[in-house]
Amino acid sequence: MANASEINLLEIPPQHILDGLIPSHETVQLSASTDICLDGTYGTAYLLATDKHLFAISPNGDSTPHTERIPLSEITNLEVKDLFGNSLLKVRTATTGTTLARFTKGQNQKFNRITHQLETLVKDARKTEEKIAKGQLGRAISGRRCDVCGTIISRRVGVCTNCLDTRKLLYRLLAYARPFWKLGTLSLALLLTSTFIGLTPPLLMRELIDGVLAPSENYETTFFRDITNSIYGMPTGYEILYFLVGLLLLINLSQSGLRAIRSYILSVLGQKITYNLRNEVYQHLHRHSLSFYNERETGTIMASITQDVGRLQDFISDGLQEIIRDIITIAIICGILFTLNVKLATLVLLPTPLLIIATLKFGHRLHRTYRGLFRRWAAISALLADTIPGVRVVKAFAQENREVGKFQTRSEDLLKGEIKIAGIRSIFSPVMAFITSIGTLIIWLVGGTSVLDGALTLGNFVAFTQYMWRFYGPVESLCRLNHRFQRAASSAERVFEVLDTQPDVTDRRSAYAMPAIEGRIQFDDVTFSYEPGKPVLKNLNFTVEPGEMIGLAGHSGAGKSTLINLICRFYDIEEGAILIDGRDIRDVSLKSLRNQIGVVLQDPFLFNGPIAENIAYGNPDAALDEIVAAAKTANAHDFILRLPDSYDTPVGERGVRLSGGERQRISIARAILRNPRILILDEATSSMDTETESQIQEALYRLVQGRTTFAIAHRLSTLKHADRLFIIDKGELAEMGSHAELIAYDGIYARLCRMQTELSKLRAW
Amino acid sequence: MISHPDLTGDLSLLSPRDIRLYLDDFDDLTLDLRGEIHHRVGVQRAFPFNAPTKFIVLLNSDGAEIGIVRDLGDLDSDSRDALEIALEQAYFMPRILKINSIVSNFHVPTWDVETDRGHRVFEIPSSRRDVRVIDDVRVILRDADGNRYEIVDYRLLDPDSIVFVETIV
Ligand SMILES: Nc1ncnc2c1ncn2[C@@H]1O[C@H](COP(=O)(O)OP(=O)(O)O)[C@@H](O)[C@H]1O
Ligand SMILES: [Mg+2]
Repeated sequence: MANASEINLLEIPPQHILDGLIPSHETVQLSASTDICLDGTYGTAYLLATDKHLFAISPNGDSTPHTERIPLSEITNLEVKDLFGNSLLKVRTATTGTTLARFTKGQNQKFNRITHQLETLVKDARKTEEKIAKGQLGRAISGRRCDVCGTIISRRVGVCTNCLDTRKLLYRLLAYARPFWKLGTLSLALLLTSTFIGLTPPLLMRELIDGVLAPSENYETTFFRDITNSIYGMPTGYEILYFLVGLLLLINLSQSGLRAIRSYILSVLGQKITYNLRNEVYQHLHRHSLSFYNERETGTIMASITQDVGRLQDFISDGLQEIIRDIITIAIICGILFTLNVKLATLVLLPTPLLIIATLKFGHRLHRTYRGLFRRWAAISALLADTIPGVRVVKAFAQENREVGKFQTRSEDLLKGEIKIAGIRSIFSPVMAFITSIGTLIIWLVGGTSVLDGALTLGNFVAFTQYMWRFYGPVESLCRLNHRFQRAASSAERVFEVLDTQPDVTDRRSAYAMPAIEGRIQFDDVTFSYEPGKPVLKNLNFTVEPGEMIGLAGHSGAGKSTLINLICRFYDIEEGAILIDGRDIRDVSLKSLRNQIGVVLQDPFLFNGPIAENIAYGNPDAALDEIVAAAKTANAHDFILRLPDSYDTPVGERGVRLSGGERQRISIARAILRNPRILILDEATSSMDTETESQIQEALYRLVQGRTTFAIAHRLSTLKHADRLFIIDKGELAEMGSHAELIAYDGIYARLCRMQTELSKLRAW
Repeated sequence: MISHPDLTGDLSLLSPRDIRLYLDDFDDLTLDLRGEIHHRVGVQRAFPFNAPTKFIVLLNSDGAEIGIVRDLGDLDSDSRDALEIALEQAYFMPRILKINSIVSNFHVPTWDVETDRGHRVFEIPSSRRDVRVIDDVRVILRDADGNRYEIVDYRLLDPDSIVFVETIV
């Protein structure tokens, strides 16, 4: 037990409060501060104990503090209540109860200790050994082939490079830009205007040199001179200079302005196109059947929505316009150069073929290396996407080092690739610089000679050099066009693949809404295979009456889940027919069918949102009563109330914050709330302990009354309420009948039953 | 909406006519359920954020559920007052009126705020887990010790505070 020296005396209230409060013959034994006053505002209040009394002192604005005084000997019970937003210390006597302190949860530990010390004080004060009650309220597919040419499609690229018809793709892409043609035309017009204006400064330079700085005799009057003449009459050199400076300023200003407007318009255009495309892709994704997702890696599908669409936007809005600009720039510059001086122009263009060859060659190598690099990046993302979610397994098997090693190997590959790229690039730019400098050499040599000969003015010479520099840029960028095109094309192909793949399970044109289901389910010689030639279900023939509960049992992999997938029409069958109430399920609309089926899966998927939303997933406007009632029926209510925010607690991504059994109970509540006509339970209680399961069993039993139910379970006791049992073996309906009949038949079911009884005997020991 | 005849029996709703709630001499919430007295009744909101006045679960002193009060408004005024006091005590959640600063130390942001209950400094260990936005504007915070804070509508804060909130959510 605590003695006086251990008692906390550090947090003593100001002396003026103590004066007059504590009788002179009592000594302070314990004192502690709290951080919430009794009126519920933040602030320092005190709890203080002498050898006779327990005091609470709580500030009360500017007036005298609020105080409570309780004789220690009368205290019968001390309780720290850990509530939802704060904690409090409650003290009870035989006749009253008082909250003596409120504090934030960070102080819980301190007050638990203090309560302990108080108990000692109370005992001492009472001088009795009777115990006082202390309560505490704790609280991807490989080898896929192209449909057209039969080449194997790489999993990463995801499209047949052999069949890429880039021109057709381009045309289709433009279709997405078409609704915004006004914006597109406007931004193109702006682009061209600013390109034209941008090409004038060298001409001004020529005017400045030939007309003002170093007037040349064989300089003919030009357009500019005409203008200056009309403004100034006979202008002096200074006046022309001022005019030219003013003009240059105007050009630069207007160009900046145009560029700003254009870049805004272009972004808007691009974002609008992406917005449409992205939504269309996403919408389409949801129309696909499960087999679409079986054949593709989730990563590739997601990349389509994010990366590919972004790249297309870049190409449609920016790329195309730049191509037009480059072509026009080249044409205009060629025109100007040839007007200025035909001979010199021809010479300047001489290095161009060299430039083109070099760009193509390097570009090709760069592109290939980049592709390799992209693959390596993808390998790293794939590794991350695989191991980070599986981190529990990694830790459980202590494989951290191996995973780190794997990562390092891939990371090293990436490093090598990056270094290679750096190598190519560092050669590329100097080579290009050298080739362009050949042009300069020619101009200096030939043009310089002409200037000395007097055949070329200085201004023309300078203008020539400047235009030459502006000429090579667009040429280079046009050379790289092919790769830009290819990249966009493969993105486009991936996106269009998603858009073009016709969902294999769709409503027929003549589909009608399924009327309220009664529940007669008929399998008429149904054969089904996921992969051609390997039937998973063979010649199934049976009829289930309305309201009947069918237990499905059999070895794992026998085809039980497949059977119920077919009832939900997640896949379409090729042979035979499935009839519900006599209607072929392929003739009714998917929505009307699935609206009447409730499914609980072994590993139910919860979405990242509050519990209540997850329960109401199938009926978003369910009343709160129904949500709570469904949760109660599913035996989930009690554990939900133990969560920090009850029904408003978020479950985390995929429901990670809940256990497997808890997720299943949420999922059962979801199905209950849907009030389905056909209920499907695919190992719905497999992650629960036997006790929890048997509690739910009763609820489920009530739930299945009057509904056709299929229940799959490994624990055969789960199926004890079933009217009939279907034993599936290797895709065939091997046995069918009641428990007693099947035991008498002494087949697979009887054997399974015996094995499980043995097991349970073992457990009972 | 599908009506659910099979579900209603499971709700254990307490009829407002059957119950009387009051604070006893010990200041403990007490439930009189058709003459059957439950002392030291605990209260819990089933939907603390989305329906704070509905579905109040009453627990006995062992923490087991006695039943559910469907709507605070259905109770007689004395019972309602008693229940409201108990709820206020349990769900202490000051409203943040102004954010003075959010300073990150080693990725743990320390919030310095003014609330309707006074000035307070606290730490939010994980903004992913401990910051919740409800209906796009309401922000619920949980600090390192589990204390709760609320911003009723962050757009109504002063501009500086809005910037702080938007960097976090
Ligand atoms: N999406 C799928 N694609 C290809 N094969 C599948 C797919 N789903 C299941 N299978 C195969 O079909 C067979 C039956 O599976 P399933 O119906 O899930 O068995 P269970 O009886 O255990 O539920 C198994 O051999 C399984 O490998
Ligand atoms: Mg299965």
